[in-house]
Amino acid sequence: MRKTATITLVVIVFVVLVAGIFVWQAGFSRKTLKVFHAGSLTVPFERLEERFEGRYSDVDVQRVSGGSVMLAREIVDVGERADVYASADYSLIPKLMYPKYANWTVMFARNEMVLAYNPEKSRYADEVNSKNWYNILRRKDVTFGFSNPNLDPCGYRTLIVIQLAELYYNDSKIFDDLILSNTAITISEDGGVYHVKTPENLKPNTAKLVIKPKSVELVALVEAGGLDYAFEYRSVAVQHNLKFVDLPKKIDLSSLSYAKFYRRVVVERADGKISIGKPIVYGLTVPRNAPNPKLGIEFVKLVLSEEGVKVFRECGQPPITPAIGIGDIPKELKPFIAFQSIQK
Amino acid sequence: MRIEKLFLAFLFLGVFLLAFVYITLGGLFYEQLKDFKGFIDTIRDFTVLNAILISLSASFVSTLIAFVFGVPLAYLLAREDFAGRSFLEGTLDIPMMIPHIVAGIALYCVFMRSGLIGAPLEKIGIIFTDTFLGIVVAMLFMSFPYLVNTAKEGFRSVDVRLENVARSLGASPWKVFREISFPLAFPSIFNGVVLCWARGISEFSAVLILAYFPKSAPILIYEKFTTFGLASSRPISVLLILICLLIFVFLRKPKGRKE
Repeated sequence: MRKTATITLVVIVFVVLVAGIFVWQAGFSRKTLKVFHAGSLTVPFERLEERFEGRYSDVDVQRVSGGSVMLAREIVDVGERADVYASADYSLIPKLMYPKYANWTVMFARNEMVLAYNPEKSRYADEVNSKNWYNILRRKDVTFGFSNPNLDPCGYRTLIVIQLAELYYNDSKIFDDLILSNTAITISEDGGVYHVKTPENLKPNTAKLVIKPKSVELVALVEAGGLDYAFEYRSVAVQHNLKFVDLPKKIDLSSLSYAKFYRRVVVERADGKISIGKPIVYGLTVPRNAPNPKLGIEFVKLVLSEEGVKVFRECGQPPITPAIGIGDIPKELKPFIAFQSIQK
Repeated sequence: MRIEKLFLAFLFLGVFLLAFVYITLGGLFYEQLKDFKGFIDTIRDFTVLNAILISLSASFVSTLIAFVFGVPLAYLLAREDFAGRSFLEGTLDIPMMIPHIVAGIALYCVFMRSGLIGAPLEKIGIIFTDTFLGIVVAMLFMSFPYLVNTAKEGFRSVDVRLENVARSLGASPWKVFREISFPLAFPSIFNGVVLCWARGISEFSAVLILAYFPKSAPILIYEKFTTFGLASSRPISVLLILICLLIFVFLRKPKGRKE
């Protein structure tokens, strides 16, 4: 009998507690701002969230981090509604969301590809540098990884970097040794342009090469020492305190001045979509079906403001200042943007 | 008359949850019916069938392991009263509570090629990362508590006096276990097996970290969704649900007969 009473009491306390939390939450009547962003933007956006909530105490910023392609799919296919969508590849916005779900894009930050490693646990960490990294990756006992090129821009960018490395280091076997002999990925050349094809089933030789859906997932493996080297964005390596090989500007997809060279590699993904090698430029937009478009624009303003720019610098990610806009840019954002063109 | 009313009230309350399941899954199936051709194409797709087969069989193996090691453990926990038992029981629940991604990373650290368990086993050719075994390990970790807990409750519901009588008549402990405790607790144990197996099939995050390849069904569904969108991931989900439904309905049947 006493036991029943105790249980009843516990249940009552619990119900009261839960109800209390509900009422307490409702009492704030906070508006929510939903931000969908690329996994590689997690750290800077976390800091921006804090600042935004500090400024608008009645707003709760909810960030959803994931692969840029997947998040766009959630908006376009599943009907999820976000107030801001920020992608690791600005061109996904016009490609996947125009015209129904978005009609403008702001390019706001850059990034570069690096080869991240663990100075204590990665094999040959003491010898690797920007001149010999591809030879170290070739060694039999070394494992390396990148994210799935069909799912994550960081993955297909890795393939571009590796093919560009062939041209840059004048070693025509780099792509063959690292990619072709370890996966079902294929490559062909036509008039100096390399066409990489990534089938749906990549069939990686998992004893040598580790593939994960998102590049951020590889970080944990490198930290644990299970994986020696991983192709990552510079910002991700900086934020996770990983050491990295700073690849030459000509192949790391960071520099607008090598845009023409980057274009020599093209990746065709399993869904038939094609990505041409180009500088890594992050883009964002406020989707047209955003529940709170006004707040969305306010958040974009914060991203583009001096404060936002500073956050990005601290996170190892170079901002584009002033930002570049394409499409039908809302007038509130025009002061932050360098130039716009109507081209899509 | 009063029982009738109670029955009606319970039916009403129960229907709430049933409706929850039927409406959710019904929506999924209804959408798929509109694209029946897509469904047929999926059934014929070798990659899809292979992924489903991997999920079903990996979960089967992990359930088998959970059964062999979990049933004795459940019996001990149900019968023996020792210091720290409740602590032990609490720890066994941990895999059900921690975020799956955390479990995945923790498993990776131990089972990777240079990990505590992974390194010595690699020498004899057993590799966990990105292999079928890795999937089994991840599923096992996430789902064995369901089997142990259910089996434990089963053993607890067996009257100790029956065991004592058998023992006083000269039966060995093993014989008592085999002929009294296990058969009487079997409905619960069987329930635990089904739960464990079902939970294993659905595991995603932990499997992803330890073994992205070979691709099991939840991972393939996630990938199809990301690469091609909902229209291409939905038929796989529907197929997986149909197959599991068939198996579960079949598994639940003999148990009802026994009672």
